[in-house]
Amino acid sequence: MARAGGFTTLIGQRWAMLFLLIELVFFSFLGGGFFTMNGFQIVLFYSTTLALLATAETFVIVTGGIDLSVGFVMGFASVVSAKLAVRFDSLGLAPELSILFAVLVTLAIGLLPGFVNGVLVARLKVPPFLATFAVQGITYGTSLIITQGSAAINVPNLANVIGNSYFIHLVPGRGIWFFTRPEAARGADVIDIIPTMVVVTVLVIAVASFLLKRTRFGRHTYAIGGNIDAALRAGINTRRHLVVIYVLSSLFATLSGIIYMLEYVSGKADAGSSFMLDSVVAVVIGGASLFGGVGTIWRTILGVLILSVLEMGLKMMGVQTFDKYIAVGIILIFAVLIDQFFPEMIHKED
Amino acid sequence: MGDKALAMKGGREKASVFSVLARNWSFFFLVLTVVIFSFTGKNFFALNNFQSIIHLATTALLLACAETFVIITGGVDLSVGFVLGLSAVASASTMQLLYAAHWSAPASVLVGIVVGIAASLACGLVAGVMIARFKVPPFIATLGTMGIAIGVSYHICGGFPIGYLPPGLTDIGNMYVLYVHPASGAWSFFARPASIAANQIKELVRIAPISFILIFVFLLLLWHLLKNTRFGQHTYAIGGSMDASVRAGINTRRHLILIYVLSTFLAGLAGIVDLFQSGTGNFTTFGAQLELFAIAAVIIGGASLMGGKGRILASAVGVLLLKVLENGLNLSGVQPFYRYIAVGLILIVAVVIDQLFPDLF
Repeated sequence: MARAGGFTTLIGQRWAMLFLLIELVFFSFLGGGFFTMNGFQIVLFYSTTLALLATAETFVIVTGGIDLSVGFVMGFASVVSAKLAVRFDSLGLAPELSILFAVLVTLAIGLLPGFVNGVLVARLKVPPFLATFAVQGITYGTSLIITQGSAAINVPNLANVIGNSYFIHLVPGRGIWFFTRPEAARGADVIDIIPTMVVVTVLVIAVASFLLKRTRFGRHTYAIGGNIDAALRAGINTRRHLVVIYVLSSLFATLSGIIYMLEYVSGKADAGSSFMLDSVVAVVIGGASLFGGVGTIWRTILGVLILSVLEMGLKMMGVQTFDKYIAVGIILIFAVLIDQFFPEMIHKED
Repeated sequence: MGDKALAMKGGREKASVFSVLARNWSFFFLVLTVVIFSFTGKNFFALNNFQSIIHLATTALLLACAETFVIITGGVDLSVGFVLGLSAVASASTMQLLYAAHWSAPASVLVGIVVGIAASLACGLVAGVMIARFKVPPFIATLGTMGIAIGVSYHICGGFPIGYLPPGLTDIGNMYVLYVHPASGAWSFFARPASIAANQIKELVRIAPISFILIFVFLLLLWHLLKNTRFGQHTYAIGGSMDASVRAGINTRRHLILIYVLSTFLAGLAGIVDLFQSGTGNFTTFGAQLELFAIAAVIIGGASLMGGKGRILASAVGVLLLKVLENGLNLSGVQPFYRYIAVGLILIVAVVIDQLFPDLF
């Protein structure tokens, strides 16, 4: 009896990982070309933008809030960075400099939506749902005005070179190249390993995870989500902390938008329109509670991988991608029901 | 803040005038926007334009009514926008199939409506059971049913609007109650007067789209349900304090399930209305964010996401404010993109007013 209990507890705690494994096995058999190095790299490459948005959302959800604006802040950042890169390029700057300046300026501008969110939530006590929804509308409108409703294009080709480069290029029998693709003869095999953007994303996520797990900032974040009154009495400057949290969320969303711009060499106002909910779903599948106080970055990333393996696997199987949403809805309900029925299993180790 | 101090210190009369103003600020703001756009908008102040604003707001009004009930209980229903699409697509494809199988047009339309409504009721039932029985947060439960509604509706329609429906849908959906021909004095109900030839159709004055009747009836019914019945009282009670209402003997579980079923019923009805108005089964696109605009309208109407507050007619004013803004900005030559910014700013104003003067509501 005790052993059976232990076993179900183990499954209950690890169900997300188990589910990901089942997905991987399932699609390895049924998805054409899924179980190849390229297949996995495509999944990882595809999940970079969502992973950053979900990281942003994790910080906010741990404080007990929600950030509906991340998807459109991402679109905003992609549009702003693309337009700036084009502008700097037309001013005669070198492509490297124009992209660098565009990225830096966009990162600075990207703090703004988060600051407005934070002030509304922390100072004016506006419910996060409404504050971030209002800001979402404002950022979406602004990026539509910037692009006049179409995509921002003509970005210097260097963006493509950066965004779609690989960490390692291997030419069998001839050697190994880092970052730059060798000029191989036509027909020669070049094996590309680890997209650079995946490396960048992993680094950012590692920093975020460290911030949430190992620093005082992270402990305060959990404290505010657990009980904001207690946090206040413990001497935490909750107002300032909440503003910083929303700014941080906006910053990750901006990074996601910049990475989108580099990967797809264009900026789109609605680049992240369907990611807003996907990011919340990923965080919830990762076991965070919308009431705050619970949630870790790496579990969120598990949720992100579940979603992107599902989407890419279904695509490689040739199933219509809309069917993904049925599966996502069912997984979400499943995740919450597990959380409701076995609360002590999920939250014991946190 | 000066006004607030005045309202608190001043006589009762002053305070009440101020509180009436603040409580109904969205209504006065609506009047103000109508006045402004009447000057700036080309053809804004015209019978046809006002009628079309309300006609095109029908589905949004139904969604806002749905959201009002849910928000008063302290929940939120994210699924309504896509349940609307599911209902439209499910009923349209049923109509298409049955009509192609040589059923009569009225029979296939009726069965189609029943199928569409049934599909939407199922969504509400699932969400309601999860929320009431399993204590799943409404945000997550309706996010789950929303995913399922998106998937099923796209699966049915394959990402394209459904056409080849029985004839006459748009004739019913876009019919007017009264047609008057001022030159000859001829008039008739529900159809063009027989004496008027097709080439004179532009001279006709058409009054009151059929959707007015639907909206009037539903607003009245739901207003009565919320204000004067025990069901409405219990809805406010649950939103005010769940524990207190359980102790007061309200069957809160059953009530919550009913609220979510009612919500998706209204969303499904909105889908049917959309089908009749457009003549095709339209799925809901991702950028539409119908549910978020419905929630915004309810909040602009003075409801609180914490529950316990909200009025049907105020939500209707919220919807009309958003729609007038959209229409008026458009007719004033402003780029449509600015409307997202305008909605965001108004929403912030609404919530900040609610936060600064909580005692007024």
